[in-house]
Amino acid sequence: MRCLGILIIALSFFSCKKEATRWQTDWLLPVLNDTLSLAHLYNDSTLVTSNNQIDINLSRTLLDLSLSDIVKIPDTAITQQYQSNFTVNNVTPGFVFVNNIKVHELDLSDIQLKKVRVLSGQIQLKVYNPLNTGVMYQIELPGVSKNGQVFLQNYTVPPGTVQHPTVATENINLSGYDIDLSGQQGLEFNQLQSKLTLKTDPSGETVSIYNNQVFKFEASFKNLRFDYAKGYFGSALIAGQEQFTLPYLDKITSGSIALPDLSLDLQIENGFKMALRAQIESLNATNTQGQALSLSAPSIGPSMYLAPAVGTWNSLQPSTLTLHFDQNNSNIKSYLENLGAFQQVSYQLQANPWGNTAAGHDEAFAHSRLRLKVSAQMPMALSADGLTLQDTFALNLKQDLSKSHVTGATVVLNATNAFPLACDLVLYFMKDGQILHTVVADAQLASALMGQIDPADGLLKKKSKIQIVLPPALVADLQDLNEIAVTATFATTDPNTGLAVQEHIQANAFLALQLQLQLQTQIRP
Amino acid sequence: MRNLLFLLLVGLQSVYAQQTLLLDTYGSYNSTGVRRQVADAFFYGGLIDTSQINRSLANLNQRNTFGLQMGLNAQWQTPWLVSKDSKKWGSSFRWILGAGIYQYAGLQFSKDLFGLVFRGGLPYAGDTLDLSNLRAEAAIFSKIGFGIFNPETKSSFLLHLVSVQQHLGASIQKGTWLQDQSTAQIDLALNGKAAFMASAAKTYGVALDIDYRFGASDSTDNQQQFQLLIQNLGVARSAQTTTYQLDGALAYGGYSLAAWQQTSLEELTSGFLDSLGYQQSVGPSWVLLPAQIRLSKTLAWDSPQRLEAYYGAQFMLRQTYTPLIYAGAQLKVKKAWHTGLGMAYGGFGGLRLQAYSAFRFKRSELLLRSDNIALQNGASLYLQFRCDF
Repeated sequence: MRCLGILIIALSFFSCKKEATRWQTDWLLPVLNDTLSLAHLYNDSTLVTSNNQIDINLSRTLLDLSLSDIVKIPDTAITQQYQSNFTVNNVTPGFVFVNNIKVHELDLSDIQLKKVRVLSGQIQLKVYNPLNTGVMYQIELPGVSKNGQVFLQNYTVPPGTVQHPTVATENINLSGYDIDLSGQQGLEFNQLQSKLTLKTDPSGETVSIYNNQVFKFEASFKNLRFDYAKGYFGSALIAGQEQFTLPYLDKITSGSIALPDLSLDLQIENGFKMALRAQIESLNATNTQGQALSLSAPSIGPSMYLAPAVGTWNSLQPSTLTLHFDQNNSNIKSYLENLGAFQQVSYQLQANPWGNTAAGHDEAFAHSRLRLKVSAQMPMALSADGLTLQDTFALNLKQDLSKSHVTGATVVLNATNAFPLACDLVLYFMKDGQILHTVVADAQLASALMGQIDPADGLLKKKSKIQIVLPPALVADLQDLNEIAVTATFATTDPNTGLAVQEHIQANAFLALQLQLQLQTQIRP
Repeated sequence: MRNLLFLLLVGLQSVYAQQTLLLDTYGSYNSTGVRRQVADAFFYGGLIDTSQINRSLANLNQRNTFGLQMGLNAQWQTPWLVSKDSKKWGSSFRWILGAGIYQYAGLQFSKDLFGLVFRGGLPYAGDTLDLSNLRAEAAIFSKIGFGIFNPETKSSFLLHLVSVQQHLGASIQKGTWLQDQSTAQIDLALNGKAAFMASAAKTYGVALDIDYRFGASDSTDNQQQFQLLIQNLGVARSAQTTTYQLDGALAYGGYSLAAWQQTSLEELTSGFLDSLGYQQSVGPSWVLLPAQIRLSKTLAWDSPQRLEAYYGAQFMLRQTYTPLIYAGAQLKVKKAWHTGLGMAYGGFGGLRLQAYSAFRFKRSELLLRSDNIALQNGASLYLQFRCDF
């Protein structure tokens, strides 16, 4: 018993813990190290350096239609069959008993095609033999040829019965085939021809052909696309609305910018040898505040007519119509300064507005296109006054306060700015869309206008160090927060006057960022 | 169970030879530079104050140690002779049974590593930190065994079956940490490895305990008697040990925006480990037990000298342990109370004050000892109880 007592006393020296072991540490973590240039911002535009400044060459294709979009032959099946009117006895082996041409009319609405060349597509041939001896089928499509060779397929189909004719099937790629749809006399349109020749097996038995035996073939044209077409392409109306978004403008929540004088071109291109009517019904832009503005100009609204393209194949010269908008003929400046991120253009295009005046000589080639393009070239200069961009990011910083955790944090941003823009940063920490904490940076990301020219690269630069201290209450709430909104307010403020002025962007301008996190952590092993 | 104990006691009483029960329990932790308050927070919990961390840092050298030893050991020196034939050697020996449980933890570390762990990287921005020569060893094991004991010389020899409950060994042969003051880029180079025994792994082995007394046959005369004590000399075989290796360098200065957008946190972590040459393997391994070897002068209770010197040395088969030497003087205050005061140096700590008191009762003895009565960077307590019946 005495021994047990001693043991208990000894163990009591190493009694149970009463609270967690913990201590404070300070860490510096590099998070972001990047240099942003304009190439990061407009990846679909061309930036041109001119006189140590940057010009934006913005070009967008809003509509691009090819021959396959204008001229289509729907999937079509043609059938040709032979059925004797009476019984023919003692049909000897090798007997040819049918050989004729059949014409098939294609239903292409008001399109009247005389000739097409297949870019891609296929034909499925299916032949049926009800005779009790083998039959040789020869299928010929007289108007369909490739390199001067008429489409011809031969099949030897094993014996069948009236109830269960033997079927042979084959799929053939039609790429590169020319299809003449002008009929036997060359004066028609949309006509396909077929010729079926039947011959009994030369080494087979002598048989009888009865009037209930049907010999036939089926040809199914599927997924045909053309790279050449000739005929009358109809006068169908192509009307539509195209929408596109200008990058980053959708992040602007307030403020304004002033842009230099600039112009915008809208170009309509007709690569088909047919007349074309074009009408730009409207061009609208809506910014993030919901303010919409329409482009007003004499050329918006009325119909305009484009002549057919000229040339053939590689020498094809499209017919083009350019609508030019500048300060003299439109409200383009205020239209762009509205910072409309969401652009919408409404248009109408109509082939052959006066009907088949070319007597079926419309033509289209592999490179023929109907295009609607917008382009603008402007010096990249702007005047920003409280231009505010805001973006929201998901936040997932779960931490267990009973384990090692962060007790305090400071975001440190070291930046070198070669843009003539100053920036104020505000962070909003949110839970389910509700702002719980607002943190303002202790300093401004200074404009390059405040700096000096770096002799190494000749650029005007300014270095800034910004600290954003996250208060303890915010850090304590970190595990509950799920969104962070970053608001950046830009201004091109003249350092002397304090007024917003228009500034040009330097060639090769950049913003070098080093984002670090200073963390106070409580370690709990 | 109660009946079994009764039968055992009756059986023992029927044996006229003397038998002895020895109980040893001890716990100590010490460091060459880390203050006791830092270690106490790990044992008793609580906040480690920044001032204690800074004062510890001021005391640290390039190579520092911290260690912990705890144990409970029991021996029953039975009355049963190994051989009843007086002509055989076994007639001089009795059977002895022993059991115990031990915990050992040793840490060797650089001053820079201590600072990085307890202060973080920010205070050292711009400085190159040397993380080399880190060594960590820890083991918890228990044993049970039997052996022979010579009542006259008090020498004994025991063979134990050992079960290891926990074992880890880790080392960093070479390591540096540099964080750039302006860019905050971290350059980390590490060459090290660590081995952890899976908690469910069955690890068994054998160990020897040897207590060899030599010198004067009768310690009451003027000649000196010495004790060579070897404990836990043995090995164990682990069926499943996970080994981690690092040999590489990492330079991290933050990612680009595109990398943050396109890469997940798991991929970033995996990239860090790849840069550091991380490898993991699982397999059986041998575990060398933390054997303890002590050579010391023994003091006789019945010695006629009232003031007597004592001294000894101790080392362990562990790289984190520095050989310990101690020396002091014993004063016989009363016939039943002896007390001693001395100095110790080595082990896991520096120079420290040592004291003990021993009490003899009618059929028992009690020894209380501390190798660190001033609580210099640690604490130490030994209790030994001997009961003859």
